[in-house]
Order: sequence, then structure tokens, then C-alpha cells
Amino acid sequence: MKLQVSKFEEIYNANYSVVFRICQGYTNGDEALSKDLAQEVFIKVWENLASFRNESSISTWIYRITVNCCLLELRNKKSVAIEPHLSHLEHTETNFTDHREVQLKQMHQCISKLKTENKSIILLELEGLPQKEIADIMGLSHETIRVRIHRIKNELIKCVKL
Amino acid sequence: MKTFDDLKSQWQEQALPETPKDGSKLVLKKIDFLQSKHRITNRVLLTTVLVLIGFFFYINAYKYMVVTVGLLLMIGTLLIRVSIEYFSIRNLKKLNVTKDAIAFKADMIAYYKARLKTHYIATPIIIFFYAVGFYLLLPSFKQSLSKGFYTYVWVSAIVLLFIIGFFIGREIKKELGILKKIT
Repeated sequence: MKLQVSKFEEIYNANYSVVFRICQGYTNGDEALSKDLAQEVFIKVWENLASFRNESSISTWIYRITVNCCLLELRNKKSVAIEPHLSHLEHTETNFTDHREVQLKQMHQCISKLKTENKSIILLELEGLPQKEIADIMGLSHETIRVRIHRIKNELIKCVKL
Repeated sequence: MKTFDDLKSQWQEQALPETPKDGSKLVLKKIDFLQSKHRITNRVLLTTVLVLIGFFFYINAYKYMVVTVGLLLMIGTLLIRVSIEYFSIRNLKKLNVTKDAIAFKADMIAYYKARLKTHYIATPIIIFFYAVGFYLLLPSFKQSLSKGFYTYVWVSAIVLLFIIGFFIGREIKKELGILKKIT
């Protein structure tokens, strides 16, 4: 048990940041909701840790749980309106940091418009995961993922105000 | 014009959120809390059943056929509905999140389709038999309650029916929305 706890602690510390950022992609960047969602993910990680069979890397396995938990949380998710915040930032934009924040918010807004499956794919792509790993997480062929990513990229570029 | 690589680097340049200190311990604490909450829920449900059965015998309801049938219908349908909800929540929690996303999505769709069947078929039947049970009890209520209280009982029952209908409608709308999002 003690060994499992320390293994879990290690997994948590190594993966929390990326899990949190993927969750942010599902919550329009809302920090509080993303924290709750990340906690749900790690609860599931703990509950299923004994069944992990090293068939994939532990991070792939955790991202798979993350994507599924985010889908599951559609049930409880309160919609987070991003537009008022975005418009506030646009009007008060004064420096480089604010400008980057506006663009990030725009990205979140555009990602939120994607279908849930495409949202998962692009969030994993944005995190820099290899397409083969994304295919493994999604349960789709490498070729399908390649085509999909190409399509979603175009959709996203069109959506983000440049 | 920006390229996707620009967006990607912008995304990756975001400051990474700090990993909460003792975050893993907090997760384990939350799991303990959820498990004890689950045990409490089970005890509350069991106590409710026992209280209802006790009440049934306490008022000697079994001596009067119509009252017995009425009470059994009301208590029985209520218990069935609570059980359906309890097992439904349990099934949702049991969905295997370690599957790949497409297989998991299929499980979620199957789950929500089953939920809609509950809403469209089981719930109306349950409400119908609950209402029949209540209707059967009305003559005994009329006999034993004051006129004012009797009126209050049946008026509040109708109001309650509308309130329940409203909440069921809202739940169906929400779950249809989820199904639409994932299909």
C-alpha cells in the first residue's frame, strides 16, 4: 500500500500540469473547474492504478483517462461564458502579456466550438504528443488521426482572430 | 497570417500551472471522503426502507385492503425509482475510463440511451402507479383528516406532480444535450 501511495505521488507530480492544461481546454480555461476536473482524473488514476498493465506509457494511459473524464464531466459542467472576459481584455489591452492572454482566450473559445472528439484530438496535439500516441488514446488509426488533425488545424486557424 | 505552429508554441508557452503541494494526499483524502459518503448513502437508504416498512405495520395498514394496496403502490414505486437512480449513478461511476476514447464514448452513449429509456418509459409508469396509490388513499384521508388538511393534501399532491414533471423535463433536456454533444 505504501509503495502504491508513493508511486501515485510520483505519477501525480509528473503529470498534474499537463492534465490540468488539457482540462482547461474543456472548461474554456476556467481555473477552478479545471482544478476540480484534474482532481477527478487523479481519483480515477488511483482507482485504476492496479489494473495498469504497461501496455502503453503511463502518461498515455493518464491522458486517456483525462480525455474520458472530461467527456464524463459534460454532465456536471457549468457553462463558462468566455465572451464577456474576452471583450473586457480586448478593451483594456495594454501590454504584451495582456495581448497573449487575449489570444489564449480566443484559442480556448475556438476550441470550445469544436466537437468533443476533435477537441480531445487538438488538445493532445497542442500538448505536443506524437500522432501515434494520440491515435492510441483515441482508439483511431494513425492515418485517421493525421487527416483529422489537418482538418482541425485549418478550422482552428480560421477561427482564431489574427 | 499565423500558422498552426505559432498557435501551438503560444499554447505551450503558457505558464504551466503549479502542481499543488501535497496534491496527491488531497486526492487520497477525497477518495476516503467519497467512500464514507457512499457508505452513509447506503445506510440512509436502508433506514428509509426499514422506517417505511415499520410505518406500514405501525398503522396496521395491512388490515385494510385498499389502504394496503395504496400504500404499497406509493412506497413500492418510490423505492423502485430510488433504486433505478442509485444503480444508474453506480453504472455511470463504473464506466471504464481507461478504455480508448472511442470505446468510452460508445459506453457513454449506451448509458445515456438507457437513461432516456428510464425517463420515457419507466418514469411515466412509476408516476402513474404512484398516483393510483395516492388516489386509493384519498377516501381514508378524507375520513381521518380535517376538510382543510384534506384539501391541502390533494392540492399539494397535484402541485408536487407538476414540480416533479418540471425537474424530469429539465433532466431529459440536459441528458439529450449531452447525447447530442457526444454523438
